[in-house]
Amino acid sequence: MAKVAMKHVFICALKKDRKAILETLQLHGTVQVVPGDVKPGDYFHTEDRTSASLGFRQYSKKASDALGAVLREAPENKGMLESLLAGKDEMPAEQFQELIGRRDEIMAMVSQILDLDREKAECEAEIPKIQARRIALDPWKELDVPLNFQGTRTTNFFAGTFPARVDVKAVSESLKEPVQIRILSSTQQQTCVTVICEKKNSEAVMGQLRAAGFSKAPDSVDIPAAEMKKLDAQEEAERARIAEIRKQIAAFADKKTELKFAVDYYHVRADKYDVISGLAQSGKTFLLEGWMAAQNAPALEKELTQKFDCVLELRDPKETEDPPVRLHNKGSFFGAVEPVVESYSLPGKNDFDPSKLVALFYYVLFGLMLSDAAYGIIMTVASAVALKKMKNPPEGTKKFFQMFFYCGISTIFWGFMQGSFFGDAVNVIATTFFNRPDIALNPIWFAPLDNPIRMMGFCFGVGLLHLFVGLGAKLYNCIRTKDVKGAIFDVVFWYMLVGGVVVILLTASMVTVMLGLSQPLPASLRTPSEIIAAIGAVGIILTGGRESRNWFKRILKGLYSLYGITSWLSDILSYSRLLALGLATGVIASVFNKMGSMLGGGVLGAIVFIVVFVVGHTLNILINALGAYVHTNRLQYVEFFGKFYEGGGKKFTPFSDETKYFTIKEDV
Amino acid sequence: MGLFFAILGAVCAALFSGIGSAIGVGRAGQAAAGVTTDQPDLFGRVLVLQLLPGTQGIYGLLIGFITLSQIGIMGGNAVELSTAKGLMYFAACLPMALVGLISAIQQANAAVSSINMVSKSPDQFGKSMIFPAMVETYAILALLISILAIFGLASVAA
Repeated sequence: MAKVAMKHVFICALKKDRKAILETLQLHGTVQVVPGDVKPGDYFHTEDRTSASLGFRQYSKKASDALGAVLREAPENKGMLESLLAGKDEMPAEQFQELIGRRDEIMAMVSQILDLDREKAECEAEIPKIQARRIALDPWKELDVPLNFQGTRTTNFFAGTFPARVDVKAVSESLKEPVQIRILSSTQQQTCVTVICEKKNSEAVMGQLRAAGFSKAPDSVDIPAAEMKKLDAQEEAERARIAEIRKQIAAFADKKTELKFAVDYYHVRADKYDVISGLAQSGKTFLLEGWMAAQNAPALEKELTQKFDCVLELRDPKETEDPPVRLHNKGSFFGAVEPVVESYSLPGKNDFDPSKLVALFYYVLFGLMLSDAAYGIIMTVASAVALKKMKNPPEGTKKFFQMFFYCGISTIFWGFMQGSFFGDAVNVIATTFFNRPDIALNPIWFAPLDNPIRMMGFCFGVGLLHLFVGLGAKLYNCIRTKDVKGAIFDVVFWYMLVGGVVVILLTASMVTVMLGLSQPLPASLRTPSEIIAAIGAVGIILTGGRESRNWFKRILKGLYSLYGITSWLSDILSYSRLLALGLATGVIASVFNKMGSMLGGGVLGAIVFIVVFVVGHTLNILINALGAYVHTNRLQYVEFFGKFYEGGGKKFTPFSDETKYFTIKEDV
Repeated sequence: MGLFFAILGAVCAALFSGIGSAIGVGRAGQAAAGVTTDQPDLFGRVLVLQLLPGTQGIYGLLIGFITLSQIGIMGGNAVELSTAKGLMYFAACLPMALVGLISAIQQANAAVSSINMVSKSPDQFGKSMIFPAMVETYAILALLISILAIFGLASVAA
């Protein structure tokens, strides 16, 4: 149970060493910088470098955009699995230094790529406009004058459309004035026409035509057919330009390393300037305060004081302070569940690190829920392969696979205990293809399907143990913080009450028969456990509301806390999900086995069986592993943590090289 | 007639739970797709949340299946059931059918909110998973009662 011990660190150094000291801290990544106690006043001031940091962030963002543009044209062809497992690449320090030397050149390249990308986007936006114009002109392609042609000396010319429902012939016949209406094209929506009339009549004619639904055509300076040809050429040119740009961008494919470097480098620099902005500084010195793990402190102290003229003070956290939390448990067996604890909440000031307890039950509960040996083997092997294949994985990913590795082992154990290997696959295969219905994988213990009630009793037992351990953790915490009253009133009384009630229930033969136990506990235990439970209950009533001075209120509150026994009941019942999910895995597996074997033996039967088997069990393992994961978490978070854990700790986030693509390998 | 009621029960369990899960997974899927548009790297997490209301359909399938195999439909040698026993099977399937339907839809509502939560603070994934899982508890309890009842029925005289 280990929360890493934290030390408060205070550094006072010369301003000329500021850059070097910050870079050292960032490289080691062991100190979390916090705003200091020294308030900026007459002597100390802060230097606002946020504009510099914003600038660097913008550079980083630009490089990232450029990288995105290059990757669109020249994708890295990694398989899905490969990209899932890929960690950060290592970059040797000399290459890093060399790239820093070329950073301006790299940023010039970034601008060039972004310009090309922008131009490409403009070209791409142009094409739909051209196409829209072309579609608008299409009905007029027969016309041999421009659309905005006005007419001759004595006549007026209009081009326009009628809605399709208008009978153009009838309209033209209804006009008294002499006109010529020519139909150019007609579609389901509209009829395109040209109208020629005498100049003096034009207003009257137009008025009547408008009344019939006439509207003017779009303008064109050119003859429509000619303009359409031009538009085609234009579109062709835009497309050619896009292809050209794409080729140019793709040519940067071999510069991906430089681009990734720029993303990382400027991001790290921006972080550094953010830290500088928070430092208290005087004319020649600066102050830095932060937290660091006690174990890293001596090395840092030695390095800084040897290299620079500076003072470094270390001290333990004060009572009033709430240092950031980092969990550390030796070995992957316990360490793997740290993210589970963390995603609930890190241990607060008064909590201890519950990882070890969580780990023990996590694997057992998970195994009970998935409970199929073959699925366990698949999970274990897959996790082991993933762990082996990954290079430089992020800590979280590594722990994730480690956790499933142990969960897999537990699943194998419970699978054999309950005689489940791809459900009842052994028996189904032997019966269908070898005609040997006598062969089956016998459970080492018993199959829950044969006696679900007995299994349910066992699950309640596991639940009770889990909850009692949780209560024990509270006891441990009370003793640790020397809260004797809490230890007796909130823990021991509950142990007495719940333990007593459970023993009373187990002496009744009705209950033991129901739970499938062989025989009840001896009746002689009944009276003592009744007494113990009664003491517990009275104790809870008297002390449950001990913060109230008024005795009447106190008893009422005590009665209310006794009512908490119902939550114990529902907590224990909640563990029935172990049985339900375990049964679900086994029965669904059997469904697929049965479906596969429906065509019987023979070659065709075997082929169908294999297909159904592979698809069905893949589906089953995914769904049930998800279910087991979610519900194991729930049992830990709600039932287990509910008994003792407060949480609320803040995560230790040291000032470090937070890179996305590379880790810089230090010179040794 | 007994056989009819037993099959009706099996079918209802699969039918209603399936409908519930289909609605639920669909609803959560819409939210998940929306989040993935802007934050493609959250795909894995929101996918898990989308799948949570899907389990009811599977529980329903499970109840349907064990009922069918208990009454011999799956094995191909259906037994004659009295109307009373058929109705018992029907009753045994009801918890899964009804709770499956409603809890899947309600769980989807919680899942949608959790997906929104993850889109705003991706590091709270662990907590976001618990809210929908709370709803699922009741589906599991219904599953358990249905299972126990169906297995128990095997020993009831026809």
